[in-house]
Amino acid sequence: MNQVWRDRAAVVPATLVIAVLFGGAMAGAVRTSVVPLDGAPSLDVWRALFDDPAFLDSLRFTAQITALSTVLSVLLALAAALALRRSSTLLRTLLALPVPVPHLLVAVTAVLWLAPGGLAERVLGGLPFDLVGDRHGLGVVLVYVYKETPFLALLLLAAMGDELAGREEAAAVHGVRPLQRLRWVVWPAVRRPLVTGALIVAAFVLGAFEVPLLVGPAYPGTVAEYAQQATKGDLIAGEGTAAAALLVTAAVAAVLALVAVRVARGGRR
Amino acid sequence: MAVIAAAWMLVVLGACGTDDDSGAARGGAGATIANTASGFAAIERAAQGQTVRWWMYGGDDRLNAYVDDVVTPAAARAGITLRRVPVTDTADAVQRVVAERRAGKRSGGGVDLVWINGENFAAGKRAGLWLKDWATTLPNRRFVDPADPTITTDFQTPVDGQESPWSRAAFVFAADGARVPAPPQSFDALLAYAKANPGRVTYPAPPDFTGSAFVRQVVAAKGQDGAFAYLKALKPFLYRQGRTYPKSEDELAQLLGNGKVDFAMSYDAAFVRSQVRKGTFPKTVRPFLIEGSSLQNVSFVTIPANASSPAGAQVLANLLLDPALQAKKADPAVLGIPTVLDAAKVPPASRRPLTASTSGPYVLRDLGRPLSEVAADEVAPLEARWKREVLRG
Amino acid sequence: MTVPRSGRAWGVAVAVVFAAPGCLLVARALADVWRAPAILPQRWGTRGLDVALSGRALDALATSTAVAVTTTALALLLAWPAARVLGERRLRRPGLVLAVLALPLLVPPYATGQGLTEWFVRLGLVDTAAGLVLAHLVVVLPYVVAALTPGFGPRLHALEEMAATAGLPPRLVWRTVTLPAVAPALGAAAFLGFLVSWSQYGSSLAVGGGRPLLPLLLVPFAGSDPQVAAALGLLFVLPAVLVLALATRAARSPL
Repeated sequence: MNQVWRDRAAVVPATLVIAVLFGGAMAGAVRTSVVPLDGAPSLDVWRALFDDPAFLDSLRFTAQITALSTVLSVLLALAAALALRRSSTLLRTLLALPVPVPHLLVAVTAVLWLAPGGLAERVLGGLPFDLVGDRHGLGVVLVYVYKETPFLALLLLAAMGDELAGREEAAAVHGVRPLQRLRWVVWPAVRRPLVTGALIVAAFVLGAFEVPLLVGPAYPGTVAEYAQQATKGDLIAGEGTAAAALLVTAAVAAVLALVAVRVARGGRR
Repeated sequence: MAVIAAAWMLVVLGACGTDDDSGAARGGAGATIANTASGFAAIERAAQGQTVRWWMYGGDDRLNAYVDDVVTPAAARAGITLRRVPVTDTADAVQRVVAERRAGKRSGGGVDLVWINGENFAAGKRAGLWLKDWATTLPNRRFVDPADPTITTDFQTPVDGQESPWSRAAFVFAADGARVPAPPQSFDALLAYAKANPGRVTYPAPPDFTGSAFVRQVVAAKGQDGAFAYLKALKPFLYRQGRTYPKSEDELAQLLGNGKVDFAMSYDAAFVRSQVRKGTFPKTVRPFLIEGSSLQNVSFVTIPANASSPAGAQVLANLLLDPALQAKKADPAVLGIPTVLDAAKVPPASRRPLTASTSGPYVLRDLGRPLSEVAADEVAPLEARWKREVLRG
Repeated sequence: MTVPRSGRAWGVAVAVVFAAPGCLLVARALADVWRAPAILPQRWGTRGLDVALSGRALDALATSTAVAVTTTALALLLAWPAARVLGERRLRRPGLVLAVLALPLLVPPYATGQGLTEWFVRLGLVDTAAGLVLAHLVVVLPYVVAALTPGFGPRLHALEEMAATAGLPPRLVWRTVTLPAVAPALGAAAFLGFLVSWSQYGSSLAVGGGRPLLPLLLVPFAGSDPQVAAALGLLFVLPAVLVLALATRAARSPL
């Protein structure tokens, strides 16, 4: 067997597991959205979905939350990684603490702190604005930034190894100024993990409902909440709508992924 | 009664014509022999050694404890292993049943018993998801009032022996007696209260179950158009000017407990006691009724037609109607939920503990005039109208 | 290099921001009554712990651990060859492979809930232990591949070849060159994989056959009972933090 085929064979097991198991699940989701239980195929669900102003509101709301959470987390993670990259293990471990805590628990804790009548309000004697249940989803963004910044910062710190420090010192010796070093030495090294990480964060925020459910407003909800509400009373009537709504977010995530690949590739020119 | 009987016949005949899957056929056969005591004995024999997976809401520690500490040992004595599958929403269980139907799995399904809500029951019944004609022939059914409309229908859908009652619910409000000693007795008084105390009233946003029931309670008092005019008039005086609502009855309860609003509500007649126990409410909170009436409703369990252990599930449904187990459930120290049994039909010795749920400061002795639920297929349109006219409007 | 003073200030800030919520979780779990306007609980108590530890919490702890460890090990096994090929950029057109591998990251897990259940019913995997692990594996694998891939690269490849040319037997090359180089990425991948499996709710409910798993116990309480949720949350987080510590150590001193 020649090398090309051996390389191809190496990726087959992982790819096959996902293609078969996840592909089948995806096919089922698509079919649920076009074939009602014991019914004939139709696109009624899809048509109704895009005619529903509540869905369009939730799509807008989801896009807004995703964009804000991702951009803010990326910026903060960059700042944190740059500030902490020469710091102790203890600091890094502290920074890593929120990573193993599931979103749901972070949301539960956020409610304890930030809800009306929550601990922050009791300590400060009142909050100037609502965070939990805020119509613009401020609380949701805050929880995501809190949860995702450490994740991204760790990815960045992993990419900023000793080797990078060496190259930076070399550049400094040659008189390259700090900002330029950032642009031409650090940025190329961190671009890939940063884009990958940002994509993971964005795709997650797009499709998740735990945090918005506990921290977000009653209306509008995220698309995942919209889907959940559709199946709440009567699953059979709502499962098609739920599947279709979530497939829309999957499509958005796929488009984001294409953009991300383009951006990440920029580094190889 | 005649109408119900006629509808029952129609549905049964209609169903017989269309459905011939093995699960239903087995259940049908079981039900026919179950008309006699020896018939149920056969089901009990078949149930020996079966494991029954009961999918039910898992977010109430005392309900979980009731099932684990009272029902599970009783089931074990009947030779059945009960495995409680905790879910957040009935939809999770129905999703599984529907997925199995789509995949063509006609028997050996993963759900044996579901605590089902009215809408899902009605839709599932239409789709032929449930085992037929088993619930009315359970031996302990003799303790249930056969003419009680809350037991023969579920959100106006004829039950037709496809689900069995196990618990009773009534919609009550709550207020902190230390803060609001005389809570409003009518919806107009509630509006007046909200105008006098802006921001101190709110309700969970439909389609949350409790919020949706609140809207139906208003509809029962004022008619549909009157109700929506009322809710729109109420909105500007709500908590946060109605710009946001709590999303669940528990979120509302926490707002009341933290002194942010003055009223809470629930479809669980014993909820004040459980919120006091959890420390959410101060001990001074008391339940009350608005308009002297309450939506009342029975909780049912149903068996999917493709259940792996249909016999075990029937034995379990029968156990849930056992006077001793119902009495435990009515016991305020355990749950304090009103029984579905008709005390007059129960042997005198078991009667008293059944009514224990009405004692103590945290429950109402009288749940007022019962309001019946709307039809299952009217719930979603009501919720949609609320979203359109009150929430977005 | 010494830690500059600004670094210490950062440290304190980070510690406060990230440790305070954890302390709150502990306090909430031990507070039987804690209503506004009280800043400290009105009554401490163990109702939360009692509920959390009654029933099947310990079973769930064991099952969750077994499933997460099995899934992670399997994922590492499958991901290793793929990550090596991808990391060394040996595929001329990796587009399709990357797209398939990224799929579970991009499609919300909730979207495929119904489809996944139906598919696993068709495959006869539903309610089996193998099915549960496979359902987790689908979601875990992309994270593990993503975390493992940066561990490989042309430089490692060159080092390995050098060692082999120098006459080291393959097993020794693996132990002295490959593993130490990949260790940080391996630690990260194992940690991430464990976490993702540990937190799976939807697929665990859909195909788990009612097996007790920690997220299945925790999620129903999240909105309804903060005290029990906090207590179960501690049970949930402690092993994860333990794994974080292990993974950090593994990344530093391999084997």
